[in-house]
Amino acid sequence: MSKKSYAVLGLFETPDALMHAIPKLRAAKLGLVEAYTPYPIHGIDDALGLRRSPLGGMVLVMGVLGALTAFGFQYWISAIDYPIITGGKSAASWEAFVPIMFEVTVLFATFTAGLGMLLLLNRLPFFGHPILSSKAMKGITRDRYALALEAESEAFDSAAAAQALEAAGAVDIEVLPAPDRSPFLTSDYILRTLGGIFVACLVAGLGIYSLIKWFPLLAPMKYMQDQPRLNAQKASTFFKDGHGMQPPVPGTVARGYLPTATGTQEASATLVNPLPRTKDVFAQGRKVYTNRCEVCHGALANGAGSLTAAYGAKPANLQAQQFRDYPDGKIYWAVVNGKNAMPAHAAYLTEYQRWAVVHYVRALQRAQNATDEDLKVVAP
Amino acid sequence: MSQQNPTPPLLLGAMALGAAGVLGTYFAAGHERFWANWVLWFVLMFTLGLGSLFIVALEHLVSAKWSVPIRRIPERLATLLLPAIPVGLIALGAVPVLYPGSRPEAAHHPILAGKAFWLSLPFFSVRTIAAFVLCVIALAVLVGGSLKQDVSRDPAFNFRARKFAPAFMAIFALVITLVAFDWISGLTPEWYSDIFGVYIFAGAFLSGLAATALSLLYLQGEGRLEGVRQDHLYNLGAFLFAFTVFWSYIGFAQYMLMWYANMPDEVIYYKVRLAGAWRAITFALAGLHFILPFFALVTRDAKRDPKRLRRVALLMLCAHVLDIYWLIFPALGGSPRFGWPELSFALFFLGGILLWVRGAMQKGEDMPVGDPFLREGLEFRL
Repeated sequence: MSKKSYAVLGLFETPDALMHAIPKLRAAKLGLVEAYTPYPIHGIDDALGLRRSPLGGMVLVMGVLGALTAFGFQYWISAIDYPIITGGKSAASWEAFVPIMFEVTVLFATFTAGLGMLLLLNRLPFFGHPILSSKAMKGITRDRYALALEAESEAFDSAAAAQALEAAGAVDIEVLPAPDRSPFLTSDYILRTLGGIFVACLVAGLGIYSLIKWFPLLAPMKYMQDQPRLNAQKASTFFKDGHGMQPPVPGTVARGYLPTATGTQEASATLVNPLPRTKDVFAQGRKVYTNRCEVCHGALANGAGSLTAAYGAKPANLQAQQFRDYPDGKIYWAVVNGKNAMPAHAAYLTEYQRWAVVHYVRALQRAQNATDEDLKVVAP
Repeated sequence: MSQQNPTPPLLLGAMALGAAGVLGTYFAAGHERFWANWVLWFVLMFTLGLGSLFIVALEHLVSAKWSVPIRRIPERLATLLLPAIPVGLIALGAVPVLYPGSRPEAAHHPILAGKAFWLSLPFFSVRTIAAFVLCVIALAVLVGGSLKQDVSRDPAFNFRARKFAPAFMAIFALVITLVAFDWISGLTPEWYSDIFGVYIFAGAFLSGLAATALSLLYLQGEGRLEGVRQDHLYNLGAFLFAFTVFWSYIGFAQYMLMWYANMPDEVIYYKVRLAGAWRAITFALAGLHFILPFFALVTRDAKRDPKRLRRVALLMLCAHVLDIYWLIFPALGGSPRFGWPELSFALFFLGGILLWVRGAMQKGEDMPVGDPFLREGLEFRL
């Protein structure tokens, strides 16, 4: 322990005496004047000349930061990184963000207020404040009012401070030694703290586990697990046939798979392909063609597919003049409804995919019957 | 004190001019518009009086000491409930015109037909009159008793008021819910919101607080209410600050749940208020009723700065008028109406309210001098 002193402390009998002594001690400029009283005394803030705490401003800034953080985080999650439409709401619906923004604002603000006060303004952690081990402590917490002159620099003169306190009317003057401010975050301390946390978690976890295991009266909340529900591939008593999984109602159509062009093929001739001829559309058309058409119609759409021989069927040669003269609508009709041995594809292809494959078939036809004009490279 | 009677002629003139406009509205601008304006000002007077009475009762309920020196102000403001009674009785004329539940078509409406008895004019009137009776009783106990105590100096009043305060809270809840559900929500009887009464309560309490702060600063400007210090002002400011947040919390909670659920019969309420020019008013309301007062009062100094507090209190009262306008006027359909009829009503009723409050401010002592806790209240320090 060094010989440096933390403060010189003196006691007063009444709050009035304390209030009168404050200006005298402040005028002496021997050190920082600090008061310790059993209850708040009106006007003491002004008398001590306490400056305005910066905590309010810190809390405001952090609160606003909390609101912005919560907004930005939610916006990024729901509108940028993983946009899912729920309840028909736009992915970036600020209304839905407000509760979280409110909570995070409060969280940031309270943490700033609490931790800022303890760590920044009160200069903690600080084990064992010197006042706590003073002889005056008992009085301060009961019926005495203490003033302390606290050392602000190395030049603090405890003898002069004691004299000034005595002159101001204080009794029971004592010199408080400086506290031990040696670093406490040693590796030993950290290890012991982490070990303590680990053991506490282990004990609590095992305790709760065994409690639930051996005293099932205290089951955790699992209503969600226990609720009546239907599982795929599982039996169920709900339906007559005993299956949990049921086929959809006849005539059910998945969203986007509506079979349009339900009339005759001739009637569909007037349908116009709504898709633009872009790289994306052709890529999609090619994918669909490869997956669904190529096996019969062949990679070049010439009717020479790999399955043709095996089944003895004769798929259309789409390069024939008849099909090259077909309007888009008639090809589309065939994709939707099927033709001859070809099955209907309405249930497998979306509206977009059907028209994309029509574009791709057109591209294949043109590729096989290219003119010199087509070979010219178009300047990008 | 020095200026005993300089403004009444002005106020009387404003009232007379307004009265001419009010009559003109009835005959020239359509009955619906007349009644919408009339209900607006009835609700304003009633909520202002109720909010002030709530402040008085709250003090007795929690045995607050700090507010004893300023209690006479909300007590005087609460007497606005008395002129609100004839205004409200006349407003019953609006029921067959504006309130769909009381119109003959309601009998064929699938929802309203089942509630015909509740929404019909006779029972509507019975409820309103019952609310008036309850208000008069509360006024007699809390305000009348307090005025008598000025002379009698009998602390028995404090015991009586404390016993009555919990009962008053129940009465208050009933009456403010009546204002909210019957007089405001009744304009759109197919729309329900459980929290609507709380929303109206928040507005009423805020308007009472703002009027109290404004009157307090006015009286202090006249050199009255000596001994009321910054600490009292700070508490009023803190209440105002807190309840701007409460109002927005409730208002937004109601909006967000309806927005989320997106049920047609619920969202229509906001659909109407977010279309066309109403949209601008909705945003103005959020700005004037929450954002502006919130940031104006956020610091400690702001809450006890008389100049700032006066401005915020005035703003709060204007925002309350806008709030009620925003609740009532969409029932007329179409875009927001604002013109000479609204101005005449404002002149007439503002003149009347100011005249009444001016008279009330001369009632009794400026502080409840008979209250045994007055000294403790004056010694209040933060």
